[in-house]
Amino acid sequence: MSFRKLYHSIFFLISGCFLETNIVRASDAVGIEKDTTNAAARQQAIAFLQKTDTLSVSSFWPNIKPATFLENIKLNINKPLSIYEGVSTNFCGYAALSYILLHDEPLLYAKFMVELYKHGEAIMGKASFRPSSEIKQAAGSMKFKGKLDIRPADQMWFLSLADHFKGYLNLFDKHYDAGDEDKLWASVNYAKFNRMLRELFDEKVDAIGTDLIHPAISDLYEYISSMMQTGTMVLYINNTFLYKKTHSALKLAVPTHYIILEEISKVDDTVTIVYWDYGGRSLRQLTPKFLKRITYGITHCTKKMNDVQ
Amino acid sequence: MMCNRKIYQLLFTAAVFCSCSSIQKVSTKYYNENEKMLNNIEQSFKTLYRQNPFSIEFTDRSFNFVSIEIMTDSLKYIYEFDINETRLKDTLLKYALNEKGISDIISQMRSIHCTWINSLDYYVDEQKNSLIFISMRPVGLSKPFTNKKYYILTYFSQPQYFNSEGKLLVKKHRNKIRKINGEIFWRINDKVCYTIAARFR
Repeated sequence: MSFRKLYHSIFFLISGCFLETNIVRASDAVGIEKDTTNAAARQQAIAFLQKTDTLSVSSFWPNIKPATFLENIKLNINKPLSIYEGVSTNFCGYAALSYILLHDEPLLYAKFMVELYKHGEAIMGKASFRPSSEIKQAAGSMKFKGKLDIRPADQMWFLSLADHFKGYLNLFDKHYDAGDEDKLWASVNYAKFNRMLRELFDEKVDAIGTDLIHPAISDLYEYISSMMQTGTMVLYINNTFLYKKTHSALKLAVPTHYIILEEISKVDDTVTIVYWDYGGRSLRQLTPKFLKRITYGITHCTKKMNDVQ
Repeated sequence: MMCNRKIYQLLFTAAVFCSCSSIQKVSTKYYNENEKMLNNIEQSFKTLYRQNPFSIEFTDRSFNFVSIEIMTDSLKYIYEFDINETRLKDTLLKYALNEKGISDIISQMRSIHCTWINSLDYYVDEQKNSLIFISMRPVGLSKPFTNKKYYILTYFSQPQYFNSEGKLLVKKHRNKIRKINGEIFWRINDKVCYTIAARFR
């Protein structure tokens, strides 16, 4: 317990004081709904699930009914943008990772989920998942998390990821207890996020950034927009600036949130970004200075050439 | 030396106690004093939200900057304005929102230091319900010795269930406490609850 307190103290010591002076400008900007999911792969995933319609109740996951489980997976495959990490949880890193999986490898996702449901364990990439009994009990019974309440497959997936992958933020809270989804048990530091991508998917992952220091890039906008041409872009950002929850001038100077950047453009001193998080896409306008202030990590994922061919 | 320490502890405890009891008093008093205005804001917001979903947030302590989230089927547009800017009106008109109605809500919110209003979804027996969530930063709550500076009201569409202490429950026959945004809420009347929180959203 004293370790945990010490750890919290260290974590808070790295906080800094910021005065918020950035005022964003609203101007004409249009977001177009686009679905970048591989259509053929989606069809394969749907065909696979149609064969699995007779899934019986799993003894491994007592709080997950097969019908709602399959319905949840189908929703994620048909509407990959709708996957939602839940209210007040630390599942945003796992949700960002799911965005990539559902867009690039829906069949892999469907097969893995059905395997995990049927047998209580499954393999994805280099990772072999054997969720603990506490995770199996908790999945399907989470409450007060908004749409996540009615999505048992997402609960199972996020909890299994958090249970399997550990980073330094999880060192002092490795065992799941009810409510840990909101705490450090579920946190995802930047190295852990990139490790998860590399272990789970057959993707080339280029990452720049840290948990404490902004990436040393002189023109962040130019860097991001050039990289976006060739793959999926994840930004690791300080959420207390992007989504204000208090009016305090004192804010933790650390990143806490992952978003998928879908579009970026710049007119004069206004950067317009379209990004995905919390089960939907948002358009926002920022100053380049504000973008730099909130960005701590930039991860770029591309499918490896063998898969593309 | 020992005596000084005891006096210090006593003073500290008294200050914390006064601060807590003051918050409870301010909560009830604040709602009673502003009930008409709050209900008016809630009703107007609910009506306009049905036409086009949106939320309003004051982003600064002086209530000079307002952020509007405009939800469409494909995208949520998040804009921030100085409340005196003409761009605010232009943007509302561009997205076919009720400019007059929303401007009135913004003025009313500002007058009672209301920081955020939104519609939130919650689930009962796997059925979706929604409530109106209103956060305020009343002057009376900005006391020392507490980080809980926001007074939050939830307006439900149906009467809710409460335990003997007045805490919001999940269901009538289950004594399980319902949390909203991680907070426990207390009864004001059958459909309105409040809490004091460190965060306004």
